[in-house]
Amino acid sequence: MKLRKSTITIFAIVCGLLMLAPIYFLVVGAFKTPDSVFDLSLRISDFTFDNIKQVFAETNIVRAIFNSLIVSVTVTVVAMLIHAMAGYALARLNFPGKTFTFGWIISTLMVPFSVIMIPLYMVVQNLGMANSYLGLIVPMIFNAYGIFLFRQFYLEFPKELEEAAYVEGLSIAGTFFRLVLPLSKPIIVPLTIGFFTANWNNYLWPMIINQKEELNVVQVALANIVGGGYETEWSVMLAAALISAIPTFILFFIVQRHLVEGVKTTGIK
Amino acid sequence: MKRMKKNRRKRNEVLTAYGFLLPNLVGLTVFVFFPMIYAFYVSLHDWNALSPKVFIGFDNYVEMASDKRWWASVGRTFLFTLIYVPALYCLSLFFAVILNNLKQKYQSIARTMFLLPFAITSVISAVIWMFLYDPRNGVLNQLLSSLGFDKLEFLGSTNQALVSIVVVILWINIGYNMIIFMASIKEIPKDYYEAAKIDGASAWRAFRSITFPLLRGTSTFILIVTMIASFTVFDQIMVMTSGGPASSTEVSVLYIYKQAFEFLNMGYASALAVILFLIIFILSLAQLRLYTKKG
Repeated sequence: MKLRKSTITIFAIVCGLLMLAPIYFLVVGAFKTPDSVFDLSLRISDFTFDNIKQVFAETNIVRAIFNSLIVSVTVTVVAMLIHAMAGYALARLNFPGKTFTFGWIISTLMVPFSVIMIPLYMVVQNLGMANSYLGLIVPMIFNAYGIFLFRQFYLEFPKELEEAAYVEGLSIAGTFFRLVLPLSKPIIVPLTIGFFTANWNNYLWPMIINQKEELNVVQVALANIVGGGYETEWSVMLAAALISAIPTFILFFIVQRHLVEGVKTTGIK
Repeated sequence: MKRMKKNRRKRNEVLTAYGFLLPNLVGLTVFVFFPMIYAFYVSLHDWNALSPKVFIGFDNYVEMASDKRWWASVGRTFLFTLIYVPALYCLSLFFAVILNNLKQKYQSIARTMFLLPFAITSVISAVIWMFLYDPRNGVLNQLLSSLGFDKLEFLGSTNQALVSIVVVILWINIGYNMIIFMASIKEIPKDYYEAAKIDGASAWRAFRSITFPLLRGTSTFILIVTMIASFTVFDQIMVMTSGGPASSTEVSVLYIYKQAFEFLNMGYASALAVILFLIIFILSLAQLRLYTKKG
């Protein structure tokens, strides 16, 4: 039995290493000379920072990372606030048309982005938001999934706290912002991770709505580097990919614990 | 007096509720609901985005019926789903069970290893694997050569490209789905397994009669979410092959994208999108039932 357990352990670790292998080749390749990028042996003489320097010098990847940060952070912050408000109203407050409103909101879940991308492009263009941060940000905020999960959370939120606040004379809105929202961390943390990564990952929408090079988000910028020139060396493309990956790698190690815990609350990226 | 206060409170509650919902109601209307209706409206027009729309009724739908390239893309999307969904399901469940058997220390190491690709975005994953798949010198071909096999074309071959892309998407998603399974497996009471052990049940038997049935809810959830995602697959394909070689990886969303933003056939592309919606709608209905049941 003991032997079997160790066999399973070794098997799992070997498979885990296989999962890591592509990342290993990304990192190593980014620091190899163009001639040795396909050479699997590691030699000190093949090691170079030139690729990284070239990416910084010849592409606008840094600006693109900055753009992605602005877009993802803004979408996430605004989404958390308004989705929490909507979820709270649907879970806790009584108002005419509540069932209908909830049903309507949740029905928008059935519309995949790729189905509405063409009319959405027209709407955003007509609103004058194409080729701007607004066009990249605003349409991505509205997502019934966030509202749904906040509502679930508030349905199970203890009522006593709010009742005490009402007795103290706090308004409903005051109670929500001062008392309920600060206690919503268990749902805000996983949703923040979900919204941020989904928006950081977004490629199709920014590609459609923005043609200005200086507003390119990192996914589009990287895809352009790869698809743009047949001249580009693999070592340089890998360096560009590695630089683009750094923000999410850092984030991953910060939030990994929450990612694992959050799975139960959100169950989706 | 008390009654008046109560009434005021009630009015206040209604006003607050509408206020809280307003931003989302406006946003969802403008950016989701209206576009959905508008997609259908545009699909009844001949429109190349530059000249004015011309109403043509259902002509776009008639044209679509004989558009071989469209139906081929739909078929390819089904094929992709047929390979990807079962593979993702089996692999993430398999590794969830395996990892769940490890000691805590090894379990968290292995979990991190499996989950790390999740930190890679779809475009980056595409770049890495294009490098690994390089037909001449790629790591995978070097491996094949050293084992005495012939080199493969991977993305350059009409037979291998789609499967090669499935592998990339599996790679970034297995870890996350595995974690969802692991969380559900942890909720199964240990007594069940101990009882099975006393009865002399094998590990496979215990999995079949305890773990698997009790994961039904999680399984349905993962299957539906994954299915919808694979019906709208786009990113890696766009970057890695743009639908090629010889359209062998041109899935529906990619074809719609090309019709709309490369050929500028907005009306026709919208008609395609409406049909794609109807296909996904059936799947989404199942998803919706799942959500409302949970609520």
